[in-house]
Amino acid sequence: MDDSAKQVLRRIIRRIPSNKLQITLRKWECLSKKQFRSLDFTQPKWLICENLLSLCEENDLSLKHVTELEMIFHIEHPTQGTWYVSQLIDAEEEALTSDLLNFRESFKVHLKSLISHVSVKIKKHEDDAIWIRIAWGDNFTKPNHFKPTYVVHHLQTPYVFVTGLAAKHRPLLHQALIPSAHYGSIKDVHLSGRCLTALRDLLMRRYKQVFPEKHPRLLEERSPLPSHPNIENEHAKHAENRLQMAAEAFGDGMLPKLQTAVYKLETSNLLESLKYCVSSGMASAPVTPLLSSIPRKGRNYFVITDKGPGINPTPGPNI
Amino acid sequence: MSLLKPFNKLPELNTANILLVENETQFQKKLADTIVQLENDVNVIVRLARSLPLPVEIAEKRQRIDLVVFIVHLSSEQSLLSTEVSLKQLESGYFMGKMCFLVTGARCGTVPSERLTSLKKMAASLNSPLLMTEDGTTEGVNTAAQRVLNMLKISAGLVPMATGLYLSSLIRYTVPADPDWQDQD
Amino acid sequence: MSKKSDPSRLDMNYSSENDSLSSGRSDRSLRVAEKARKKNEAEDPFLLALKYFSQVEEGTPWKGNDVLEWHVAVVERVALSQGLSPEAISVLLDFALSSRMSSQQCVRILKILVPATVVPQDAIIQGVSWLCVGKMAMKTQVLFIRWVLTIFDLIDSKDQLRAIYGFIFSFVTEESLCPYICHLLYLLTRKESIRPYRVRKLLDLQVKMGKQPFLMHLLALYKVFSPELVALSFPSKMKGGFKNHNSTWKVALSAVQKRNNAGVLTDLRLNLSMRTQPNSKKRKFSHLTIPAVSSVPLRVSSSKALPLEQLRDFPHLLENLHRIELPAQMGSMLGSPLALHYIDCVRDNSAFLRLNFWLGHSLHEEFLFCREASSQNMAEATRFLNTLISTQRLLQEGFSSTEVFLYRFLRVWDGSLLRTQILGLLSDIAVVPSSRIKVVLFEPLMQLFFTSSLFFKCSVVECLNSMLLKWLTWHSVYALEDELDISVTSQTPQNMTLSGLMDSVVELVQFVGRIATVGLQLEGYHTLLLSFTLDFYETVCGMYLKYDLPLVLMPPAGVFYPALLATNPVSVDRLCQIMHRYRASLVSAKLQERQSQKPFHISRKTYREFNQYVVSMVNCLWNSRAFMPGMGIELAEDLLARSKVTECCSTFNLIHHPAFIGYAVDFHQKCWPERKELDLNSIKMGKCWDWYTEFLFSEGLWGLKEFVQSSLSHRTSSRVSGTDAR
Repeated sequence: MDDSAKQVLRRIIRRIPSNKLQITLRKWECLSKKQFRSLDFTQPKWLICENLLSLCEENDLSLKHVTELEMIFHIEHPTQGTWYVSQLIDAEEEALTSDLLNFRESFKVHLKSLISHVSVKIKKHEDDAIWIRIAWGDNFTKPNHFKPTYVVHHLQTPYVFVTGLAAKHRPLLHQALIPSAHYGSIKDVHLSGRCLTALRDLLMRRYKQVFPEKHPRLLEERSPLPSHPNIENEHAKHAENRLQMAAEAFGDGMLPKLQTAVYKLETSNLLESLKYCVSSGMASAPVTPLLSSIPRKGRNYFVITDKGPGINPTPGPNI
Repeated sequence: MSLLKPFNKLPELNTANILLVENETQFQKKLADTIVQLENDVNVIVRLARSLPLPVEIAEKRQRIDLVVFIVHLSSEQSLLSTEVSLKQLESGYFMGKMCFLVTGARCGTVPSERLTSLKKMAASLNSPLLMTEDGTTEGVNTAAQRVLNMLKISAGLVPMATGLYLSSLIRYTVPADPDWQDQD
Repeated sequence: MSKKSDPSRLDMNYSSENDSLSSGRSDRSLRVAEKARKKNEAEDPFLLALKYFSQVEEGTPWKGNDVLEWHVAVVERVALSQGLSPEAISVLLDFALSSRMSSQQCVRILKILVPATVVPQDAIIQGVSWLCVGKMAMKTQVLFIRWVLTIFDLIDSKDQLRAIYGFIFSFVTEESLCPYICHLLYLLTRKESIRPYRVRKLLDLQVKMGKQPFLMHLLALYKVFSPELVALSFPSKMKGGFKNHNSTWKVALSAVQKRNNAGVLTDLRLNLSMRTQPNSKKRKFSHLTIPAVSSVPLRVSSSKALPLEQLRDFPHLLENLHRIELPAQMGSMLGSPLALHYIDCVRDNSAFLRLNFWLGHSLHEEFLFCREASSQNMAEATRFLNTLISTQRLLQEGFSSTEVFLYRFLRVWDGSLLRTQILGLLSDIAVVPSSRIKVVLFEPLMQLFFTSSLFFKCSVVECLNSMLLKWLTWHSVYALEDELDISVTSQTPQNMTLSGLMDSVVELVQFVGRIATVGLQLEGYHTLLLSFTLDFYETVCGMYLKYDLPLVLMPPAGVFYPALLATNPVSVDRLCQIMHRYRASLVSAKLQERQSQKPFHISRKTYREFNQYVVSMVNCLWNSRAFMPGMGIELAEDLLARSKVTECCSTFNLIHHPAFIGYAVDFHQKCWPERKELDLNSIKMGKCWDWYTEFLFSEGLWGLKEFVQSSLSHRTSSRVSGTDAR
């Protein structure tokens, strides 16, 4: 085990939370049962790490094994960074029938033809997702295992989820991906977030949706009934309508977890446009305070959070 | 889109109608449940609304409303604005002892004091009572329900020798004349 | 380093445990552990960590420095579990402030500096000297001062700190440090620290920064000590104060203290008057966390002053009265009766000012500044307010900050939150000038009173009754000392003349009369509310004779008649007694007026009212002439006829009155046991009537007896009326 492998291992161990360490190492399967038992997980991490290193040396493990460990951790905890989504387009016929073996071979060949120093590791996850770990080098330096890129792709779907990709490596990745997956080109779908599964569910529609053709009657059953015959909700019908509309727009099951969304309103004069929207009846009146606060508070940066007042009073001058 | 009128219908025997108006709906529901549980002698009907005017479709069916309670959360600007808009939908008769404000969050120092000030001014100009509540605890909700119910029974004419107007003349909010106490926060 | 034996022992156990566990480990890892242990030189890791921090060279890299990480982890664990010993504090503070590593490390260490017992003064002095070197980042400087404020009460002695008052003062010009420095100065200031140039500096700053509350409070303290130097006038109710919120330290400190206290306090309870309960309360409630002050072994030898918390008993207090040092955290005094006695007899203005300030701050922070009303918070609040109430009762006067708080709180009160405590505090407030009483007291109370439950109405009347009682008691005590010019409290030189007091009392009594009248009407003349109302008038009717206040105020008809026509005998009996006492007061007043001993004027109206009531009572109960012309309640004949009640005039005499009919039936059976038919009217005949009234008296209706004996000169006569002052 060389020094760089040791360093990579130290770094990985440092990033894995103490309470997850034991379970991740067990999945790794690189230690014998006896060796595994000898590790004391109540010790401070650096001490565990030292012990682990000596065990690794005993077993003659290499960098390959170490990156394996990192992949295991990443697959189990895919919320480590921000994931960006791209979509492959212009599918060829073979796209629908491609399998893991072909993809793996083809991707490695394509990538290595583009760049000489690169380390690629591909692993299939239980849910048919292909996980790719790429450590990039360039023509003169060895692959940098400290900043790997992770790519997740589901075969037979056009979506690719990427995290930790530097801009200069993007064309290389794309050029390798497109032919391996049998597509014509790739585009950015403008979707990003920390929660990989949420992004996947959102794009692949893996959440419960309601279709307008279903019986609207069903909704009434769901709308909360007054708990007492003497309590009457004057706006029950409106509430029902709103529930219906909400369900039509967002479905009525659990929704994927997305933390942020960015809307950019760009026009030559935003406030004039907003005013026109309201005065011409394009937007419903009264104007939502989100829009009317721009001139009233004199700011155009707002953060909407779960708790507290709707408009975060941090930046901008108080008027 | 008609004004809500206090005297356009006859009262029903041993019945009192109360309307809770709240922009959000959580406190309203808790309060309504508590009110109907608290009262056993009188048939109390609680109506919940997010804002006024009330939908016209059921205007015929709706009994006469004896007390309108506006729930104002000082933590939300929208709550205050919505109340201001709804107030315009009440006929003046309601301002003679048949309406009140129920305020949450007045004790909290972090809410902008201008909100409370403008609410106080509004209440004073309408000669109406301003009841402070603690909406966070069961005891607070119980107390609020009890107080609202006391007012309702009087304004519905169920307490001998007392009227809403009489009570409201005793408890309406007045802006303190002593400048020392006017703006405390 | 004997103090540290506790923390260290734990770590040794810990490492030996490791050894036993590691027996199954492979040789290699054993060796690693061995190496690590050898590095430890078989010594306690905590001591090693301290050694490391005391010796680490300047400029040692910290990034990826596992040794540093290891030592910080050890210190952190000890700090957060047991707290740090004084020596450890010195070492770590010196390491942090010397900026030997990055400022991040400094902040990190400062954040875990949780003392187990005391903080040595030398460490603070050392810290201030690092501050003077000027190497520290501003953020770190602020953090350090805030830390000092948080643990201020744990500093073992403050004489040297006071000696460098000037050095500390020099930092007020730093804008971001200024609020905290002012707070620290506030805690350190003694009369001798006040110098004209310091006052000038503060005034300059005030011009520059505006009327910042921290500057104002410090200046106010200066003014207390040297009024001649500070010409500013301060508003009686100052806003805000010093802000030093740091929940991390607060939580850590109280956790450590809670853990350590259990043992310490049981040892100390015997010889110290500080009780455990207020200790825990004030720790939680002050914006500065205060530990059990009493447990600190102070070095008094160096200074002459005797810290208050060291007082053992009352004689000890008397011996050392001249050299008592007040605790920096004035809130701690609330829990200590000895301290309160001291405050009470010394009448130290600065002490009162500081106590008042602390109290106002805590009350405002805890009750007006957004506190979710969770049950735990409320339990603490209840304890706190109860302590405050008992303190005020011990001192027999209210704090002005309590009043300010109450007036504010009443306006946002829902009538149930902490009801018992709020009403308790309210009943303790000093006489409110009649010009303000309506706005600050009556209006908010009215609104709550009329909308709330019967129970609340009763509590309010009870509260106002005890408020009146306190005002009267206070008057009767002070009136002896000084006839007319009486100051309400020694701190607020608000002079209240006798007529001022009388105005306030009149306002209060009239207010209760009004709300009781309407309240009784709204509650259907409920017996309970009537009873509380009569309690109040029992106080009112004795104002002149019992409390020497030349004032007689009659109850309104809305209270009198409901009591007279009540369905239970107790109410009627109490009314009779009250009327008897009114009579005694009026007779005595008349006598005095006639003798011109003490000229005072009770209006004709009062006499007239009294006579009217007596006539009504006698006509109603004795003469069977209820509802007749000349009574307080008159009803037209045809209206009475329509009620279809036969002999309606006699329905409220002593026999048929709903309150007494039970007695009449009882009496009838005893007199004529053989009679089958009930003929109550036969009681009226001849001697029977006398026997019946005697019977009523023997049943315990003493009020009735007193009334009869005083107001009815001829007991048997059927034509009697009020005798006085017609």
